[in-house]
Amino acid sequence: MGENKRNHFDVIVIGGGITGAGTARDCALRGLKTLLVERSDLTTGATGRNHGLLHSGARYAVTDQESATECIKENMILRKVARHCVEETDGLFITLPEDDLSFQNTFIDACTRAGIRAEAIDPEEAKRLEPSVNKTLIGAVRVPDGSVDPFRLTTANALDARLHGAEVLTYHEVIDFIKDGKRVVGVKLLNNRTKETVEIFAYITINAGGIWGHRIAAMAGATVNMFPAKGALLIFGHRVNNLVLNRCRKPADADILVPGDTICVIGTTSSRVPYEEIDNMQVTPEEVDLLLREGEKLAPCLANTRILRAYAGVRPLVAADNDPSGRSISRGIVCLDHETRDDIPGFITITGGKLMTYRLMAEWATDLACKKLGNTKKCQTAEICLPGSESEQEEGSEKNNKNYSVPKPNIGSRAAEGRHGTRSKKISADNRYDRSLVCECEEVSIGEVNYAIEELRVHNLINLRRRTRVGMGTCQGELCACRAAGLLSKANGCAEKAQEDLADFLNERWHGMYPVAWNETLCETQFTSWIYEGVCGLDLFAEQK
Amino acid sequence: MEQNKDDKSFEQCIKCTVCTVYCPVTAVNPEYPGPKQAGPDGERYRLKNPYFYDDSLDFCLNCKRCEVACPSNVKIGDIIQSARLKYSKKKPKLRDYMLANTDIMGSLATTFAPLVNASLKLSPVKSLMDQVLSIDHRRTFPAYSGQKFETWFKKNAVGKQNNFNKYVSYFHGCYANYNYPKLGKDFVKILNAIGYGVRLLEKEKCCGVALIANGMAAQAKEQAEINMASARKAVQSGTPVLTTSSTCTFTMRDEYPHLLQVDNTDVRDNIMLATKFIFELVDSGKVKLSFKKEYQKRIAYHTPCHMEKLGWAIYSTSLLQMIPGIDFIMLDSQCCGIAGTYGFKKENYPYSQKIGEPLFKQIQGLNVDLVATDCETCKWQIEMSTGVTVENPISILADALDVEETERLNK
Amino acid sequence: MRFDTITIGGGLSGLVTGISLAKKGQKCLIVSSGQSALHFFSGSFELYGNEGNPLDAIAKLEDSHPYSKLGVEKIKTLATEVKTFFSEMNIPLVGSVEQNHYRVTPLGLLKPAWLTMEEYAKVDDPKHMPWKKVIVLNIEGFLDFHTSFVASGLAKQGVECSVAAISLPELERIRKNPTEMRATNIAKVLVNETLEHLAKEINAVAKDVEAILMPTVVGLLDKESVSILKQKVQKPLHFIATLPPSVPGIRTQIMLRKRFQELGGIYMLGDTVLKGEIVGDKLQSIQTNNHGDLKFEADHFVLATGSFFSHGIVASPNQVYEPILGLDVDFNGARSEWYDRDLFKPQPYMKFGVATDKNFRVKKEGKTLLNMYAVGAVLSGFNAIKEGCGAGVSILTSLNVAQEILK
Repeated sequence: MGENKRNHFDVIVIGGGITGAGTARDCALRGLKTLLVERSDLTTGATGRNHGLLHSGARYAVTDQESATECIKENMILRKVARHCVEETDGLFITLPEDDLSFQNTFIDACTRAGIRAEAIDPEEAKRLEPSVNKTLIGAVRVPDGSVDPFRLTTANALDARLHGAEVLTYHEVIDFIKDGKRVVGVKLLNNRTKETVEIFAYITINAGGIWGHRIAAMAGATVNMFPAKGALLIFGHRVNNLVLNRCRKPADADILVPGDTICVIGTTSSRVPYEEIDNMQVTPEEVDLLLREGEKLAPCLANTRILRAYAGVRPLVAADNDPSGRSISRGIVCLDHETRDDIPGFITITGGKLMTYRLMAEWATDLACKKLGNTKKCQTAEICLPGSESEQEEGSEKNNKNYSVPKPNIGSRAAEGRHGTRSKKISADNRYDRSLVCECEEVSIGEVNYAIEELRVHNLINLRRRTRVGMGTCQGELCACRAAGLLSKANGCAEKAQEDLADFLNERWHGMYPVAWNETLCETQFTSWIYEGVCGLDLFAEQK
Repeated sequence: MEQNKDDKSFEQCIKCTVCTVYCPVTAVNPEYPGPKQAGPDGERYRLKNPYFYDDSLDFCLNCKRCEVACPSNVKIGDIIQSARLKYSKKKPKLRDYMLANTDIMGSLATTFAPLVNASLKLSPVKSLMDQVLSIDHRRTFPAYSGQKFETWFKKNAVGKQNNFNKYVSYFHGCYANYNYPKLGKDFVKILNAIGYGVRLLEKEKCCGVALIANGMAAQAKEQAEINMASARKAVQSGTPVLTTSSTCTFTMRDEYPHLLQVDNTDVRDNIMLATKFIFELVDSGKVKLSFKKEYQKRIAYHTPCHMEKLGWAIYSTSLLQMIPGIDFIMLDSQCCGIAGTYGFKKENYPYSQKIGEPLFKQIQGLNVDLVATDCETCKWQIEMSTGVTVENPISILADALDVEETERLNK
Repeated sequence: MRFDTITIGGGLSGLVTGISLAKKGQKCLIVSSGQSALHFFSGSFELYGNEGNPLDAIAKLEDSHPYSKLGVEKIKTLATEVKTFFSEMNIPLVGSVEQNHYRVTPLGLLKPAWLTMEEYAKVDDPKHMPWKKVIVLNIEGFLDFHTSFVASGLAKQGVECSVAAISLPELERIRKNPTEMRATNIAKVLVNETLEHLAKEINAVAKDVEAILMPTVVGLLDKESVSILKQKVQKPLHFIATLPPSVPGIRTQIMLRKRFQELGGIYMLGDTVLKGEIVGDKLQSIQTNNHGDLKFEADHFVLATGSFFSHGIVASPNQVYEPILGLDVDFNGARSEWYDRDLFKPQPYMKFGVATDKNFRVKKEGKTLLNMYAVGAVLSGFNAIKEGCGAGVSILTSLNVAQEILK
């Protein structure tokens, strides 16, 4: 029974994206014994591959009132409960000479109906508010858009789930369901790091696998037809804008520019991809050219701004019709009770939706699970702050203090405060070693790296990047990768594994760089190769492997 | 104001760390974040939120040695100075105001020169300045002259200048005007000897380098506009604007546009050090120089930081090497540590001296008669720290010049 | 201003060219836009990165390779001069033209090398490692070198490694700064009497070992500090490269530049050549950013501007070009052909560079410029990293072009 108890949960949540992490947190907050499983690392799917836009809902207002209303509600909730993951920048929907200005009224009306504050402002005012905006604009509407860091948001949800008793297993892939008759009673997991398998049991299993949920459902015997729509984006080297820029027209390609942390992101394209490709997204030269061409219309200075990388995600939409663009499909939340739908008790799928509505998706899925388990506890995720966002930040913090010309903490800790919110207090800056920077572009200190290794489930350098921004800055790891690998080697006591990691990490960075490798990006890559292959001989290591 | 491509040079940084090797401040002051962090790295964060601005950027000397070293053409020094002007909320202290207003202070001091010079040497006065104004008491102050260069020129030289058919305009700067009019006189002597009449600018203000360094951008901009208007008139009348200070030259040519947003595109190429002007005339065979046989000196040349950035040391040193009696030594190009008003400040004094130490040691080990350099503040620093006399190359050329023979050759 | 030869680019290639010409009495100018790639030097020059005799591999190269233009005999002759060339400026190198040895990398791997700076750790035959038991040292808190990597690599070769970190009170000052604990800044501290303290600390931990391995954090401005430290420690001391900046690389750059200037050469740092005037089939003069209208004229010009990193060639989304004169560049058409998706596979872009004739003269619109040569990394046809021939191509093409010019 002891063994059984350890391997038996109330709920197993499959998928370490924002939906899975949010659902695990909600379950844990309601007192359910919860396990979150993810085949790779947290945020490796669509969660880590989007704009990071804190939608006001304005983008959907004209085409999809329901989504728009959900968005603005969740937007306001996230500002409160996920303060350290959110930047309250506001956004502009601009009308260019090639656009129809009369759409502006339709747009404002629709926003107002959905409860979104939308205010037409003078183009001159828009230029003053956002100097990077296309100077030829003929109209602008200000809306409460913002940006949200999906890595931080997911990490905080998973962390809070753990703080409330849940277990989180990354690198554990569901390879089969365990059934008792028709009922799903557990899952068979493959540990992708050790290649061991283990069986885990639960009363309820929730499929929050995003686009991969299609396969997971199939494994359980249910059919959920999902629509793989690829969206490519580009990351620029610095923040050219401080307000989110949108086009005031029907949603189209590459018409959102989002400032996030030290960078900004343009996107997205939209194209249908075959299922076989969803694990291996490549950004094509045509997509890059399109993103640049359209991006320059929002902010012309993008034409000569350094591009750090290109990436693509796959939207986890539930197919409803045959629209090849994937845009007219509702972003609506789909919560499937497979007991009633497919006669598979113990199995729930939560899908559709979007980053913005993850909390609501989690609430629906958890409500359903609770109902089945006879748990009556109310959802509290709209009120309880995530770890790091608990209380008002102190005086002198980045958000609250505009009197910036005052003595302040050292460079590493001030950036860490933005990333970990109030949890940054846990980062050691006690001694000079801990204050030294590992990543100079993104100001990540040794203390922060050690905090992430100890508290945020870091197994390798790529995990570390997602928790801290190591290697996400201008040099894409050239200067910091080896330093961070050294620290990992020290923490794990395995130099060889750390060196393997180093090779994987640099290759992962390269995958985002080669689609945009010209000008400085190519110089940077060549320099990185000189250092890691020429001086260090890392290619010899990669070959030996 | 819209960012132009140059303002985004921070993006060309590929994080190679070369700049950190050549920063004289990093080597001595751990409070300074270093050129890479203060410049391109910090700029990304400041664009995100001005909260990330840090007052430790004040430790930057603005020597631009990081820029000279950078293989990716990142304007590191410019980024740091622009950030200081844009984000610093520090109010200049009375001390900064006094140090920065070189021409107001100069006018006052010249009038009472004997008194001022005497009192600046007194230790109670120095101690008072140290405690009240935070001007370091160990610092030797440059002496002020009793008669301004401008006054001398109007009284003694202006008449003669009409006897030429080619002219240059002279931006004398504060130093030649208030502290060392001999430099201005030497300039006039050489230019006259090679057949050029000298004119002063219609109106000349301090170039503003010290105002910029002390965060007084608005006043610096006013002065810059006056200087550029005068320079424009001079250039339009067909005379180049010559200078005898590398720092004034560098400021007017390269700092006005990006730090003060004062456009100088139409005059920039015509503002230059006298040594560049003279060298090019000699190099192209248009002018010949003749030197006194008896002039025999061992001279070492120090490249001021802004001269290094301009890349113009070659002109001054080539001219000096034309003097047959000179035993010429090129010092390693490194910062002397003073950086204008920087080294006068109590908080910077020890760093200032530490930065200059290798240079001082090199000079002291050479047993030279003179050190030549194109910057007046380097002169003060080297004289104070080594005891060796320092002269502007123009003064050395003037002393060595056989005026009559030169005049004859250039008739 | 008139010169015999003007070299654009002041790194390894530019300086080797300039020194060779100045030695023969030429009046030379070098224009260098910032510091060079020597700042990231590994401590070894590679001729060709194969096991055994590099000349064997070189003999089999394609015709487009710079080495094939030189030919094995010429390479052998030129390569034999290199040790003397560098020892003249107090950069002693060890190694042989006909037998590669191995350098110990910061990851503890062994990489074939031709000539290695004397103070570096060097292995002649991996099957017979020179040590059985070593200690790998680091400076406490120095992040650009990791003892565990070196130790794990050497352990695979059967060397027993212990590791230790050393701290010195003199280093506390730079440690205060969260970013500036760099190899070069450490080397600025580790001079004079501090070397004595360092040696004492090293001797205290390095007992019962055959050799001491440590990062190159000593000897920035001259070799003196290295020699002093070697004398004061009680066991043989060998250095291993760090991540940038490279202390011995910068010292090499300083020594080369000094030598060039002592020979009467003029070195203009931080200046960029903006354009040149071509008349007929010759380059007449160049103009630079710092000197405005002033024309620098010469009988011969040498392009030693490096690869992408040094902006000798520049990639835009749809083409690769030479930015100063618009010289002909060899590159593959569409940008999707420039890369391999695996970082560690040979990257086609590495072979891009300016096109030259068999005497390394550059071309513009298909026509050879008779008095302008290209040397080093700006040349096309080789992958310096994958082939392990970057330094060899730089040095040998430079020596060769200097000879051509002197003909």
